[in-house]
Amino acid sequence: MSGQERWRRWLVLALLWGVAILFLIPLLWMLSSSLKPTYQIFETPPRWIPNPPRWENYSEALTTLPFALYIRNTAVITLLTIVGHLLSCTLIAYAFARLRAPGRDALFVVMLATMMLPYPVTMTPLYVIFNRLGWINTILPLTAPAFFGSAFYIFLMRQFFMTIPRDFEDAARIDGANTLQIIGRIMAPMAMPALATVTIFTFQATWNDFLAPLIYLQRPELYTVTLGLQFFRSTYTTNWAYLMAASLVTTLPVIVVFFAAQRYFIEGITLTGVKG
Amino acid sequence: MHTAASTPRPRRRWLPVRRETLTFYLLISPWLIGLLSFTLIPIVASLGFSFTRWDMLSPPEPIGLRNYARMLDDRLFWQSLSVTVHYTLMYVPSELIGGLLLALLMNQVSTRGIRIFRTIYYMPSVLSGVAFVVVWMWLFHPEAGLINATLAMVGIRGPRWLVDPNTALTALWIMSLWGLGRTAVIYLAGLRGIPRELYEAAAIDGAGTWQSFLRVTLPMLTPTIFFNLVLSVIATFQTFTSAFVATNGGPLDSTLFFVLYLYRKAFQEFQMGYASALAWVLFVIILALTLVIVRSGRWWVYYEGEDR
Amino acid sequence: MLKRLSFILLISILAMLIAGCATTEGGIVQTVVVTATPTARPEGAKIVLRVGTGDSGEGLTPHFRIIEMFEAENPDIQVQLEPVGSGDYYARILTQIAAGDPPDLLQIGDDAVPMFVDRGAFLPLDGFIASADYPLDTSIYLPGVMEPGKWNGAQYLLPKDFSPMAIYYNKKLFDAAGAPYPQEGWTWDDLLATAQQLTVTDANGNVTQWGIQLPGPWTTGFEYWVAAAGGRLISEDGSTFIGYMDSPEVQTAVQFYADLYNKYKVAPPPADMNAFGGGNSEFDNGTAAMRLFGRWPQAGMKQNPNIDLGVAPLPAGAERAGVLFWGGFGISALSDNPEAAWRFLRYYTGKEGAEVWKDWALPTVASVAESSGLSTDPVEGVWLNELNHLAPRAYVFTPYWGQTADPALRRVLESVILDPNANVAELLATAAQEAQAALDDLR
Repeated sequence: MSGQERWRRWLVLALLWGVAILFLIPLLWMLSSSLKPTYQIFETPPRWIPNPPRWENYSEALTTLPFALYIRNTAVITLLTIVGHLLSCTLIAYAFARLRAPGRDALFVVMLATMMLPYPVTMTPLYVIFNRLGWINTILPLTAPAFFGSAFYIFLMRQFFMTIPRDFEDAARIDGANTLQIIGRIMAPMAMPALATVTIFTFQATWNDFLAPLIYLQRPELYTVTLGLQFFRSTYTTNWAYLMAASLVTTLPVIVVFFAAQRYFIEGITLTGVKG
Repeated sequence: MHTAASTPRPRRRWLPVRRETLTFYLLISPWLIGLLSFTLIPIVASLGFSFTRWDMLSPPEPIGLRNYARMLDDRLFWQSLSVTVHYTLMYVPSELIGGLLLALLMNQVSTRGIRIFRTIYYMPSVLSGVAFVVVWMWLFHPEAGLINATLAMVGIRGPRWLVDPNTALTALWIMSLWGLGRTAVIYLAGLRGIPRELYEAAAIDGAGTWQSFLRVTLPMLTPTIFFNLVLSVIATFQTFTSAFVATNGGPLDSTLFFVLYLYRKAFQEFQMGYASALAWVLFVIILALTLVIVRSGRWWVYYEGEDR
Repeated sequence: MLKRLSFILLISILAMLIAGCATTEGGIVQTVVVTATPTARPEGAKIVLRVGTGDSGEGLTPHFRIIEMFEAENPDIQVQLEPVGSGDYYARILTQIAAGDPPDLLQIGDDAVPMFVDRGAFLPLDGFIASADYPLDTSIYLPGVMEPGKWNGAQYLLPKDFSPMAIYYNKKLFDAAGAPYPQEGWTWDDLLATAQQLTVTDANGNVTQWGIQLPGPWTTGFEYWVAAAGGRLISEDGSTFIGYMDSPEVQTAVQFYADLYNKYKVAPPPADMNAFGGGNSEFDNGTAAMRLFGRWPQAGMKQNPNIDLGVAPLPAGAERAGVLFWGGFGISALSDNPEAAWRFLRYYTGKEGAEVWKDWALPTVASVAESSGLSTDPVEGVWLNELNHLAPRAYVFTPYWGQTADPALRRVLESVILDPNANVAELLATAAQEAQAALDDLR
């Protein structure tokens, strides 16, 4: 390793750590606040180490509301949504990326367009539809649409498929593979980083979704984590420390899943794809 | 995008529908069904509402184009549009470039290093919207906030951030930079998708780091950049949560984002008809912008798997 | 490209056609307002009542306790509480009402009552109140607490809880400065003098202790200053802002409020314009001697070691006036079981409910306040006494307050707090004109 290269490596690491520390500050501040009594949260000057740390905030926050139940509810919804997205978006994205058909490009623009209408406006008509279907107070309005694809993830997968050379499919097609086999055996494994991205983003978005559960889940036993967190804020007062404690605890699953999904980000194409 | 137009299609009159076309429509049929039932009906309904005066409590009353005409004189409509455009011009470039830089930096280190950094960078994006915004409100607190306390230590009197109409939008912008990890993750997936052989070939051609970045990385990354650009524009035009929680549009409407104004009209001032009209104006603006971006993509997006 | 555009155009035209037809036939109403079909109830099955509330967290405990008590006494009814925390509550119930599927009982804040009631969202209660089987004696309530639930003379909602406004003070800081505690009968001049006496500045000119923490650009709270200055914001018939919002009395109120911030510098500048009550933490930190606000954070203040808490009545301006904040329940006009809903409502908001509420907020029933010793309590008695000085709210004169004058007034308050050189008369004149234009457009 040349001197210049070593110097460059150090610079890269220093930059990465510098940014990392900046990124960690809000999280650490959240942790610090979650251990303070309410009246200490806005102390001037701000204090990093709570004195004394109020660990009870955690046990109290998590026992005043049935968070275990909320986590279970959210997990079910999240899991179904992920499965739905992975199945539907892979197929649809493949079609948009590879197959030629009249109307395809127009439909692609329509798909992009569907991402553009702000949710507060379509919310009311959607509620009417789900109400007619008898889906209110079930998890169906939150999970069923996932199986019909989602524009954001279709777009993401399509972009990824477009970068994969055609040679692999052509070879498989000559060997007699049909489209589903090509998608399942060639494209999907090569698109692992994209699939991992879809999984992570879906996990995060569903886990943190607020407006949709708010509208469709009205019975407290169906509530999700975000609806639960909202209970620490009322019109007149907010129990900040509880909110922070519960937010941190309920975020842990997402971080764990993210860490676990890491290998797929990296392994994808470099291992299974191009071999020569 | 442009494949269909560039290759002349053979005419086969005896076969009304080609097999490939059939497969295409079969594969996308779930999306088409979803589009019709969960998207098109609400969209059409909202268009319908935009021609009415509707408070959501009593039946809507048709008023033709009056909602649209009213926007022209609505000071806050123009204010919200200006805030949104302003913010988009601030945020989109910083997200595209900042996210790319982070991803490139991460791509320099070992696999284990990537894991650690990516997790750290992504964590702020993971935290539930409201709690994260609240923490930032504390950090920005003019007296008790960490930022101004740190500035005070080096003798700088920090601005009043979210309370000052001159700095509130900047504060929201700084806050949103902590979501860069998300963009970086997409870039990193794109970077990792570039076949190694291309770099090897470039190295054989004698290309240095900078040249292989320009000749391999950047072109191969254009589909990802394109994706991030489209998404970023759509997302910034729909900015809501941070402003809703942190400022609710104030002070003095300096952070009144378009969707925030729309939400206020719909659910706080009970004017769903006007809100729907606002939504359609936003829809048309974003659609036009996206079409421009998609069209421009012809000139700068490179697809490896494209039929040539 | 051309093909793509024409496809979009086609879709848009189709959409407009469908929408157009729907509008002309009034079809949108049919598509949107799905009337809930009464579900056939098998013999002996319970009636399920849905109750929507914007309360959350620990604030839900009294709800659950009352429901438990009620269900034990009324085995034929099951009550299902549907809570939604804070600001998104109205978004949900509006969506539910639009879809024809709201809870049977809905909680509404005082400022939203005219809006919802005027649009027919609630059933009038007078028939129920006078009914033979389940009557309600309305004389049991404390003075003024029934008023916010009325519209055009009829009762639509019953009170859940309420809070007047008053002034908290920290006895520690008063004692240290040797200042006497504020007493009933004090005036704006006394308030200013006390605040100035308690404001402490260090050698560098930095304020280390503030006289009074004010609630920022909080419009509904600001009505206290207007009423105490002897002004009003809207005409009696609910048609005019001009000549009211910009009147000399309102100017006096705004000027005095702004001066407390910028001229006398006895109030800390708001730390968060959006937060309910200004987002300041000086009083909690023990660096502000007084705080003007409602009763909501009182429980937390009592536990705060920085504060030795006292509560003082509001100071008088040209007049002795106060304002009420209020939450109440009414029966949805779309309820399938209005009779059962009434049975629960009169329990929920009546004497039985008040017995539970008294541990969480001020009870609405006079005898409950009396028997629990609240009326004579040195702190709670101050709050209850404010009920004798209530001024009518501006929003009881028009259902359009929230979309006309409220944003205009807010802009004035933000301006005068942020800009020490703001011209109050000019700002109020502009605000009155803007509010008037918006109102004329809606009426």
